[in-house]
Amino acid sequence: MHELSIVKDIFRTLEEAYPATHNNIVGIEIQAGLLSNIQPILIQNAFEAYVEEYPVRRGIGLEVSKLPIIAFCSNCNKDFEVKFHRFICECGKPSDKIVQGEELKISKVTFKK
Amino acid sequence: MRNTPKSNNMPVGSVQCENTSLNLLKANDFVAKAIRERIPEICVINICSSPGSGKTTLMQETGKRLGKELNIAVLVGDPETERDAIRMREVGINALQIVTGGMCHIEAQMILQALDHIDLEGVDLLFIENVGNLVCPAAFDLGEDYRVTVLASTEGDDKPKKYPRMFLTSELMLISKSDLLPYVPFSVEAATKDAREVNPNLEVLSISNTNGEGLEEWCSWLKEKVAEKKSPVSTEKV
Repeated sequence: MHELSIVKDIFRTLEEAYPATHNNIVGIEIQAGLLSNIQPILIQNAFEAYVEEYPVRRGIGLEVSKLPIIAFCSNCNKDFEVKFHRFICECGKPSDKIVQGEELKISKVTFKK
Repeated sequence: MRNTPKSNNMPVGSVQCENTSLNLLKANDFVAKAIRERIPEICVINICSSPGSGKTTLMQETGKRLGKELNIAVLVGDPETERDAIRMREVGINALQIVTGGMCHIEAQMILQALDHIDLEGVDLLFIENVGNLVCPAAFDLGEDYRVTVLASTEGDDKPKKYPRMFLTSELMLISKSDLLPYVPFSVEAATKDAREVNPNLEVLSISNTNGEGLEEWCSWLKEKVAEKKSPVSTEKV
């Protein structure tokens, strides 16, 4: 339901970050952690619907990739990948320190010269 | 896909790439911080659950039990109608309805605006009764100190694994309608085990708004959190 507002946030964020050059953007890469409740295909669809309304944004490519959940085990002093939302290290110790997986961010922007 | 990413079609040499890290959730987080700064003395609790788990009834019961000791206010979110705020005012609770206009969750901006319309003079404890939904509300920090997820025994004990982010981001899980436990296939033990695989620090308490089980412990938990918030040595939740 809030995919369209995320797409609006993408453009608002880029306008703020690149006030002089945002109209030259031709490619955007988004990284979404598995805990962010984001489905890449839905963002893609919302993006296309938005771009259709705003011709100035036509021609921009969007790629959305998902980031696995990584937690830190204080027992082993190392990061481990969380699978099936089981926040337990292979040593058996539960972890509440999430290193990666909650984020939703723009990771790369491509500008035409 | 009608419109596949075009970055692959771009002629080599004509573009300039910039690796960046621009947070897309910052708008909500920014407002959540403003809420914390605006009401630093009030203990704020975000109550989440599916529709029908008994959140509003729990607010009523909490008001009845703690109303004389604590000054309580409630912001209650629903996609439509003002029914929940009316139910709470009927038992003397200072409540304001947030009608989200069909939206499936409350965002921090709605809370910030609501703070202008509710009398918070002397309030110790502010509940935010979120929209009944175990998915979207998990992603929105509302400036709360604690998040409490209510899971009714009638919903089934498999919910913590199905909706992990909700339980991951909560401090306390209340298993409501505990008076029905003898009649429904719900294992408190299984729900607790699953929830703690997602969130090892999660506290768990069984309650019943009908026969009062667990409500005394719930009220003690609240009083403790309110006292911690007021005391200068309180440890802020990050």
